[in-house]
Amino acid sequence: MRERFASGFDPFVIPFLIGMAFVLGYCLFGMLRIWFQLPRKDRRKVVLSLITPKGIWKNVKDIFANCLLHVKLWKRNPVLGYMHSSIAFGWFMLIVLGHIEVWLFLPERLRLFYYPIFFNFFVAESESTIQGAVIFFLMDFFLLVVLSGIVLAMIKRVRSRIFGMRRTTNPSFLDRIGLYALWSIFPLRLLCESFTAHISGGSFLTLPMNWIFRQFLGNSMNALPTWWAYSIALGVFMCVLPFTRYMHIPAEMMLIPLRNAGLHILHPRKGFARLQFFSCPGCGVCIDACPMSAKKENIKDCTVYLNRQLRRGNEERIEQISDKCLLCGKCTAVCQVGVQGPEMRIAQRMLRRYAVNQHYTDIDPTKFVPEGGSSAKVLYFAGCMTHLTPAIGRSVRSVLDKAGVGFKMMDPDGGLCCGRPMMMAGRREQTRELIRINTDIIRASGCNTLLLSCPICYRIFKEKYSLEGIRVVHHSVYFDELIKQGRLKISGKTLRKLAYHDPCELGRGCGIYEQPRSAVSAVGTLVEAEKNREESICCGGSLGSLSLSYEKRKDITLASLRNLTVADPDTIVTACPLCQTTYGNYSEIPVKDIAQLIDDASK
Amino acid sequence: MTGNVAVVGGGIAGLETAVRLKALGWNPIIIEKSSSLGGHVAEWNCLFPDLAPADKLVKELVDAADGIEIHTDTEIASIFYTRKSYSIVLSDGSRFMCDSLVLATGFSLFQAEKKEEYGYGIYDHVITNRDLELWFNTGSDERVPSDPKAIGFVHCVGSRDIKAGNTQCSKVCCITAIKQAIELKEKFPKAEIYCFYMDLRLFGRKYEDFYIRAQRDMGIHFIRGRVSEVSETIDGRVFVKAEDTLSGKPLRVSLDLLVLMAGIVCNRENTTLAESISVQTDEDGFFRSRDNITHITESDRPGVFFAGTCTGPKTIPETLAEARSAAISVDAYLKSLK
Amino acid sequence: MDFGFSLSPSSAVNLDRTDMSLYEMLCDREPTARTCIGCGSCSATCTASAISGMSVRKVLLGIQRGQYREVEKMLSHCMLCGKCTMVCPRGVNTRHLILELCRLYGNSEGEL
Repeated sequence: MRERFASGFDPFVIPFLIGMAFVLGYCLFGMLRIWFQLPRKDRRKVVLSLITPKGIWKNVKDIFANCLLHVKLWKRNPVLGYMHSSIAFGWFMLIVLGHIEVWLFLPERLRLFYYPIFFNFFVAESESTIQGAVIFFLMDFFLLVVLSGIVLAMIKRVRSRIFGMRRTTNPSFLDRIGLYALWSIFPLRLLCESFTAHISGGSFLTLPMNWIFRQFLGNSMNALPTWWAYSIALGVFMCVLPFTRYMHIPAEMMLIPLRNAGLHILHPRKGFARLQFFSCPGCGVCIDACPMSAKKENIKDCTVYLNRQLRRGNEERIEQISDKCLLCGKCTAVCQVGVQGPEMRIAQRMLRRYAVNQHYTDIDPTKFVPEGGSSAKVLYFAGCMTHLTPAIGRSVRSVLDKAGVGFKMMDPDGGLCCGRPMMMAGRREQTRELIRINTDIIRASGCNTLLLSCPICYRIFKEKYSLEGIRVVHHSVYFDELIKQGRLKISGKTLRKLAYHDPCELGRGCGIYEQPRSAVSAVGTLVEAEKNREESICCGGSLGSLSLSYEKRKDITLASLRNLTVADPDTIVTACPLCQTTYGNYSEIPVKDIAQLIDDASK
Repeated sequence: MTGNVAVVGGGIAGLETAVRLKALGWNPIIIEKSSSLGGHVAEWNCLFPDLAPADKLVKELVDAADGIEIHTDTEIASIFYTRKSYSIVLSDGSRFMCDSLVLATGFSLFQAEKKEEYGYGIYDHVITNRDLELWFNTGSDERVPSDPKAIGFVHCVGSRDIKAGNTQCSKVCCITAIKQAIELKEKFPKAEIYCFYMDLRLFGRKYEDFYIRAQRDMGIHFIRGRVSEVSETIDGRVFVKAEDTLSGKPLRVSLDLLVLMAGIVCNRENTTLAESISVQTDEDGFFRSRDNITHITESDRPGVFFAGTCTGPKTIPETLAEARSAAISVDAYLKSLK
Repeated sequence: MDFGFSLSPSSAVNLDRTDMSLYEMLCDREPTARTCIGCGSCSATCTASAISGMSVRKVLLGIQRGQYREVEKMLSHCMLCGKCTMVCPRGVNTRHLILELCRLYGNSEGEL
């Protein structure tokens, strides 16, 4: 290969250079800003995670798999997966191959930023082309891959249903500009390279096109304007990128290492949270997933819109969206980049300032310490919700008696709240105080196991309490163990079909999916809901939502019930008193807690 | 024209309508899904406000219906409208044509176990108003203790309750609770009796006298506060939590028996029946009358009439009056066909 | 002028002089507040009532009767556990009502 221009420069690269300089500067500045918004402790954590080979390998692997290959999306929806990875990975390969070309043929030009991008404009084929034939082929091949992705993207814009998406997001004005710029980049590149293919070489795609064009177009006349157009499209795309959803491309690359380092959202708008809402690609997968979207009026309250409003700083909408959410975590389960919808919303709720602030300083924990001998090592905390579903509490006690487990009640006549509802409302001080008092009570009881029948309580006891030496366990897990150990004899296994509903706080919240199923299978025939485990649909009764009134939750519950009853079960089984009550209000078939089933079937 | 009128439901509304139609010279045919006539009233012991025995009323109506074609243990299998008459096939295989249809399908008693916080079906001494009437009739129900010291009545169980899916007042529970409280007090003079109410709705003639009697002569306590939670004490008694809203203080009391005043909700079969003959039901599942003032017994569909509690909660006198009214409307309709 | 003693204010509720602005503001933010029938279910089931005398029923009545200090005291012990919302027969969104009222308090105290 030889150079066509001694200077190695042409004015048409300027738009590209401007765009590149802008986007790089912007991202660098943004990255530094986010970095310094992180608390010192978090920064240390990240640095420590980045210096181990294992940490580096995991980050590189995750970035490659998620940002380029979109592995998660492939699993969810192969067509969308192909569309995204063809564009991202194809583009990435074009850039890499461009650099290899320059490195092979004109290594001294490698320091010119634009050279690998516009390589074909600046060079002419020489005798040594044979070395380039493979690369030319690869260049054309990946260009074709990207173009196929772009065609799919265009089809998706018009008919998203073909791709299995019932609803998709409405792009904003700048999103559209970015979108059209992105769409035009690759067809323009094809034109550019075709016009110059007889000079700079080409392969199966560009050479035939070059031949066709030359039959009726003066190639040299068209070449330069097309290269200009190509450069402008690139420049426009990069200039609008920071203000569109395409910001997720650079943001996600930073999000992955930070998440791998185990960071949590501490500030509603800064640091990790900021990175998350910039990482949202606005794909809208969360819209169909969200249980609230059973009602059309709630669609604009899904996580993708929260992220958009956070980027725009629309306080009124941010408050509405974050107060309405059920905090079920379904959006996070399906999210391709792992934006934490519930945590983001709780963080927004933390911003509120209240004139009346709850305090519990005058509560004396010693008054709540359960009586009873120290032989009872299991402490059963029924919690507020179980007090409204006495059948569950009664069954739990009965099963414990049958298995010969010595236990005592922490709240026989009602105790204090576990603090999870307070935490969901974003009130950290109050939560901490409740945790402190409850911890004192539990410690004073002398137990070694804390048994819970409510997943809402279970989650906060597991996550936020420091109860070293005390096992925190949910009754579904504990009873499953009792059955497996043979301490609890199941005598009356029924042939009835039991559909198990994964409560949000137990499943997505604490990752407990298998033990309840094993327990249900021990007493009857387990059938699955259409969407289950990580993708189970919230019953609609969640305490997570602050503003949804009872009547507005009805459609959510009905939709969730439809999902649960696809296998035509005889009974719905759940492991949460709140789910049970919520379903019980509307269900045609009986709704029972796992404890009731086990109690009925055991002796 | 056949002169046949199908009467769906053999409760007091259906019986009274059929008897009156017969007297007016038409040929009513009663279709009753259960094996006996009289509906809910037949399960009751005695009736407010005069404590008249319920079986006497039912017996009078059944006797009066002598000679009327009655299908018990039978439901409508299919129904077709063909040129101003209905062709009906019953589940017992019989079929006939009729010119008019009276729906007297009645109501369902709210399933008290759905309000789980009250512990019906969970605790040993929680019963419903219906269980209590059955106990009055038979004297056998092990949930009713032999020597209770304290008894509670919970009003509005499944009525005026959005969570129970029924926001309507059931109309008859307040007065029924007072009636049952008086009867229990007569049986157990030493027992303290508490009625937990949200609002006392004693609208009918003599109802207020009944209330006064319960207060003055029987010493029954009325507590304004809805029970929110029921638990069980170690010795098996029922422990009730409510707020005494008049003093503004939380109230706790342990009882030997708790009676839940299960309310009147729609008969669920109304919906399927309504679809098969294209009449309307309201959101609460009761049939929709042509209007709620002057044409309560008439549907939007010519020839289809309503009687009794299938259009909403009613007392027995109201039901009977409406049954007669429905008979007159049917009579006028059939005459117009001639 | 200080006479060394004070006349106790009338214990009667005078609706002509009652300031309902806080209640109205609350109802704007949580419209279900208007549908309360004062049945007391919320108070009876309340987790905090044993400790503080908390009662959503009394809170709602209190802000319509000018008993702001008592209401504030009751509110300050709520744990947001949601039991009151679960038992309310009218479907009043009591948790949201409490949170909104806690926010509104500062706004209106100047006027009250």
